[in-house]
Amino acid sequence: MKIAFQATIFVSILISLNSCIGDDFLEDARDPEVRITTIVDTLGVNASLQLEYMYLNNVGVEEFIPVDWSTSDDDIAIINNQGLITGVSIGTVEVVAEVNLVEGLISDTISVIVGAETVTNSIELSGVIETTSSYKLTGDFTIAEQDQTNLLLTFDNEYCASDALPGLYIYLSNNPNSISDAFEIGEVDVFEGAHNYVINNVGIMDFSHIVYFCKPFNVKVGDGEIN
Amino acid sequence: MEKLTKLSSIAIAILFSVFITTDVFGGGPWTKAKGKYYFKLSEWSLKFDQHYTDSGLIDPNITTGIYNTFLYAEYGLSDRLTTIFNGSLFSRNVMNNLRSATNNDILVQGDAINAIGDIDLAFKYSLSKPGAQIPIAVSVLLGVPTGVTGKGEFGNLQTGDGEFNQQLQIDIGKGFNFKSNSAYYSAYAAVNNRTKGFSEEFRFGAEFGLGIFNSRLWLSSKLNFIRSFKNGELSEEVNSTSIFANNTEFTSLGVEANLYLTEKIGISANYTSALSGRIIAAAPSYSFGIFIDVN
Repeated sequence: MKIAFQATIFVSILISLNSCIGDDFLEDARDPEVRITTIVDTLGVNASLQLEYMYLNNVGVEEFIPVDWSTSDDDIAIINNQGLITGVSIGTVEVVAEVNLVEGLISDTISVIVGAETVTNSIELSGVIETTSSYKLTGDFTIAEQDQTNLLLTFDNEYCASDALPGLYIYLSNNPNSISDAFEIGEVDVFEGAHNYVINNVGIMDFSHIVYFCKPFNVKVGDGEIN
Repeated sequence: MEKLTKLSSIAIAILFSVFITTDVFGGGPWTKAKGKYYFKLSEWSLKFDQHYTDSGLIDPNITTGIYNTFLYAEYGLSDRLTTIFNGSLFSRNVMNNLRSATNNDILVQGDAINAIGDIDLAFKYSLSKPGAQIPIAVSVLLGVPTGVTGKGEFGNLQTGDGEFNQQLQIDIGKGFNFKSNSAYYSAYAAVNNRTKGFSEEFRFGAEFGLGIFNSRLWLSSKLNFIRSFKNGELSEEVNSTSIFANNTEFTSLGVEANLYLTEKIGISANYTSALSGRIIAAAPSYSFGIFIDVN
């Protein structure tokens, strides 16, 4: 009898120790990135435009690090250290934002046309979502600027997602493996066919991936790169 | 968040039903004699970092633990009618921190809750006379949702399924001698009616037990099946995690040892694992307990 009680207490202690909150680790490393986020089709001669950028660290989280700006031809456009670009003459230049890290130089380059007047058109990006788990997830999407502050994310008729998961959520993220620092669009309530989301106060260049996560289980279901 | 909470409640409900209710119905068709009883206090543990998906494959998930202190009791109201209580007196649901392997930052904070769990009350009636060669019994079980649901920062922790259920069951079995040892086998089939959007279930299983060392040590093996009628709400509409999901299906195999240290008092250990499943934890459960058996 005494042994039985002692054994029960021993097992209870073992279970108690085993029931503490532990740590799981997520492989979330990615290459650091500089991304010019301003979209411009044509810059007018003698007109100026402030270019914006973002630096994403090795887990896809935005950090402030100053960049060096340059253009490929100062006779067509010049840019200062704050990213203010000014058209000089008609032509096309490459604009480079560059960061010097311990690991080496990283940069982003865009082409800017200098013309008679400044033109900025809205752009549309697209991609394909695919499952990275055993749960069904497939479909094509487009993401476009609806107005100055809102994006419209649209899925086509081929979209299909498993409805077996408790709490499937969709995010915009700069790390396909993580929703840390991601933008939560919302809980998924359409599992088949065309549908869309209006996303407020997010820039079209702010995120690189759409990611589906099962929130209660903290597990990734699938993703799609925004191209 | 409300929906997430609701969904969480269903996933955890099933595992509880599967692993825990099994204990209630592990006794086969045998009822206690009038005034006789059996009490067991046990610790039950399930920790899993992967689960069976809706296609039956195994996917990873955040490490989740469910730990229960159970009181199980049988009491013979008459020679043919036994009342059964199986309740989680203390339940702990834990989810690990999710950390970055790159910089060790916490990406999702872990969480835990402690509360009472769900309670099952059952009545088992023997259709056959005491001492029958092939006893048959019917049971009705009432699942009372005394556990909590939707707790924790993300509403994904729970110690019960949050729904009342009623289960009708029939048991049949036979005791016999096997190489001068006592032995038995039994089988059961049951229909579990569930509420709050959970699908009904068909449950069936079989058990074989062998008593050795003059029946001081009983070894048994239990095979359990659960099949969902899939007539409830979609899983995404019924928020549950881990063992409490909706439309869960399951095949489990358990082994158990009960050692009588005295004529009436003993200890027991159980290991149960899923052989296959859908929307359920893919890890074994363990339990260890002390019992008093007054025959």
